[in-house]
Formats: sequence, C-alpha cells, structure tokens
Amino acid sequence: MSVGDPGFPIPVPDQDTRPFWDGCRRGELLIQRCGACGKWLWQPRPICSSCQTPDPTWTQVSGDGAIASWTVLRPPTLPAFAAMVPFVVLLVTLDEGVRLLGYLVDDAGRVLTTDGGAEGVRTGRRVRLRFHDQAGTILPCWTLAD
Amino acid sequence: MTRPARTVRHRQAAVVGIHALPFSKSIGMTERRAGALAILGALADAGLEVADVDAMYRFVWENTTEMEMARILGVENLRAFGEVDYGGGAGAPTIAHAAIAIENSLADVVVCWRARNRSSGGRPWASQLHAVGQDQFERPYHIVRPVDGMALHTRFWIEKYGWQPEDLGRVAVTQRQHARRNPAALMQKPMTMDDYLASRLIADPLRLFDCCLETDAAMAMVLTTAERAADLRTPPAYVTGFGMGSGPQMTAMTFFYGEELGATPSRWVAPELWRNTGLRPADIDVVQFYDAFTPQIPLGFEEYGFCKEGEGPAFMQSSACPLYNTSGGGLSEAYVHGFNLLVEGVRQVRGTSTTQAPNVRHSLVTSGNVVPTGAIVFSKEPW
Repeated sequence: MSVGDPGFPIPVPDQDTRPFWDGCRRGELLIQRCGACGKWLWQPRPICSSCQTPDPTWTQVSGDGAIASWTVLRPPTLPAFAAMVPFVVLLVTLDEGVRLLGYLVDDAGRVLTTDGGAEGVRTGRRVRLRFHDQAGTILPCWTLAD
Repeated sequence: MTRPARTVRHRQAAVVGIHALPFSKSIGMTERRAGALAILGALADAGLEVADVDAMYRFVWENTTEMEMARILGVENLRAFGEVDYGGGAGAPTIAHAAIAIENSLADVVVCWRARNRSSGGRPWASQLHAVGQDQFERPYHIVRPVDGMALHTRFWIEKYGWQPEDLGRVAVTQRQHARRNPAALMQKPMTMDDYLASRLIADPLRLFDCCLETDAAMAMVLTTAERAADLRTPPAYVTGFGMGSGPQMTAMTFFYGEELGATPSRWVAPELWRNTGLRPADIDVVQFYDAFTPQIPLGFEEYGFCKEGEGPAFMQSSACPLYNTSGGGLSEAYVHGFNLLVEGVRQVRGTSTTQAPNVRHSLVTSGNVVPTGAIVFSKEPW
C-alpha cells in the first residue's frame, strides 16, 4: 500500500484482503467467488461460507449495481474529511448480489460535495464503478449511471 | 396455546444489588476508581460485602479487568469470570453469564459493572486511523461513527416501512419526558416534537436527537442465588431467563452485507429469549430497549414480537404498548452501553422507578441490536 495522508483512515490489508486492494490499484474491482458452489462472497474471507471450500477465487466484476441505501456525512466528521462535507456514502448492491460501500463521485472519480438532492440520489438508482484516489489509497466508488 | 419449553436449570439467580455514581460529562476520576465505588455501592445496597464476592463478569470494552478489580477490592478468589464483546451488545449477555454461573453452582455472589468515561475520555473511533478487518472497507469512507452505519440502515427501514420523521421523534420526546421525572437523568430540558424536527442532521436521515448522549458513568449490579436473596434486604429481581444471538453474516454496526438487508440480530435473540424464559411478549409489563438511536425502539417492539414487522410506530401509539425506557434511557438519562437500562429494569421489578409501570411481574431489557446481542427478563416472583 502506498502511504496515505495520515488524516484519513487507511486500509491495512492482510493476506486475505490484499488481492482486493491490489486490484483497486490496477483499476479492477475484484470480488471473491467460490470455485465449487459459485457463491459470491463479501467481505473477503479465506473459506466459502456457503460450502466451506477454501480459497474462493478473486474475480473481476463490472461494478455495475444499484443503490441499496445512502447517507450524507455532515459536520462533525474526522478532521481529514472536513473539506469534503457534505458528501454522500452509498451502499451499493452489485449485480452479483454483494453489497459494498463507496462515495458518490462524478464521472472522473471526484467526490461530490452534495447532500444528494441535486443529483436525485435515491434507493434503486443504477450506479457505475469509478475509482477515487484518497491521498494515495485507491477506493472503489460509484457514479450515477443515468 | 402451549408455552415454549423453558430451559431446565438447577438454581435461580436474582439481582440483589444495584448502584450508580452520579452521571456527568466529566466524572473527575479514573474508570477503575469509579467502577470500584459503583461495585461497593451495589454490595452495600444488597447488604453484602467484598468477602462474599466469588465471581465477576464484565464487558470486553470495560477497561478494568476482573483480575484488576478483584485485586483492588480484595476479593479472595474468583471462582468464575469472563467477558462479553461487542460494545452495547454485551449488557444483557454479561448479566446472563453471571446468572449462568449461579445457576450452575460455579459461583454464589457475582458482580458485574460498567464504568466508562465516554464523555471526558473522548470518542473511541476518532484516533483509529489504521483500519483493519471489517473496518478497512468502511472507515476510509467515514463510515466511522456508530451513527454512520445506523444511518444507512435507517434509510432502508424508513423506505421499507414508511416511517415518518415524527415516528422517531415520538421516541425522543417520550424518553425526554421520562428523563424529566428522573432526577438522576442528565437531560432535564423539555423537548417538543418541533424541537426534535428542528435538530440538525448528523448523518441523514438521523438527527442529533435521534442519537444517545455521551456520558461519564459507573454502575454495578450484584447477583446471588434466589435462596440467599430471600435473606437479603432488597426485593430480589429474579432472572427468569435470557437469550443471545448474532444472526448470520454479522459485522458490528454495519450488518448490511448479508442476504437480507435490515434484519438485526434481535430477530435471532427473540426466539431464544422466549424459549428460555417460557414467556411471550404479552407477559412483559415494561421494557427497556437498547437505545443508542431512536429507530431501535420501534424495531425492538417488532423484532421481539410485540407487534408485526412494520407496525412498530403504530403499536407504540396504541394502548397495548408497555412503558419503555422509563429512566430516559441512553437518549436522555445517560449512555452507559445500556447498563442503565439493566439497572432500570431491576428498579421496575422493585417498584422504585420514577416512571413506574403498574404491577410489574416481568421486566424486559435488551442490548444493542446492531451487534451480536442479547436480552434478559427480570421478574417479581421466582420460577
């Protein structure tokens, strides 16, 4: 991992999660899928929780999905985020069925300063994957698809 | 209807001592000292002494270990001890472990306590910048505070069940009314629905008055056998039963990665509670639902089976709804990881609450429903 601004929380990968973060740095969203039963798994784990087969396969996905829920971060936040508020964090259900968090970003991956109103953020809207560089940490994020 | 079969146990536990130091924003002493004073107060309430204590259970998040507390107090030997994890989920399970030790003759006098300088000691998440485990996929986006995860759930519940802002506001206003009858409660200022609706958004859709307080507090509870309780000076609050549960694919505070969005661990605790107690919701006379945030109250009524899913806010306006969070709870009395709810549940059995429910036979207390959690029933009469 690159060393991020110490003001932002920094992911600390371990053996079970490092492929995900390495994928982000290549611009790829990798999700584990069980090679035996086909179950998509999130968060990362060493064993399929559905059939207990070890070593689910890291599989690149499109990142297409829909908003399952969302919130708006407002003051008070951690100091590193103060210049960004208000901003929207989405809970996205990928088409594969797993749910991930991510900022609402523009087409270029920049975090939008918004309460979501102008963009019409609502549950069920389709989103597309983008990546956002947060002081050296490459984070999957989402932009509205339509 | 046949009642669910109660788990067979050997002897019954009862709460015989409770105590709280005055709640404050800055208690001016270490958690170690406050906890020890709270324990001594609870023993004095029961008419017991340190020499009687033979077991301790605590929250994992309690900074003073049982070993250290026993050493400070001068407990000769801990015949049983243990800790329960998951923040506010640990309350009822901690008391349940104490009861289990008594029921199985591992111990005779058990102390549980919670001392937390949560106000003056700062916010535990504010300095944790290295995100490991589940946090690495959440904290970089500022899903950091308990309110952040709860907000994402609350949006889901609002849309699924059609909750109005007033449905949550009613919880905050009601609990403030309870707090204003309780001289020990920190929040004594009146709150109207307009006050609630005007309070600022913290993490949409949650407002300031949807959130619990940040408090310095120390509270303790002493349990012993029902047999020994009969000889003590306080009216016993018998532990009729309890339940615990995690639910599937659990992540603390952000349990939204599983198959079903919105179902909390309480859904898994409830059947265990009713089976273990042999009771059903209609038997419960007063409830203390864990209330770090207002949505946990209507959900509690639904998930523990007082009403159907989605009917919580309507049920809470009906005459069938029991009194809830009668001390003011985490929203308006004090936030002590729910230990104040446990103590209030005992007061209801004793008949000493400042918002006393009439003729209490069974008093339900639940713990945090966004983490692995539990619930417990204190009763006026033994099995």
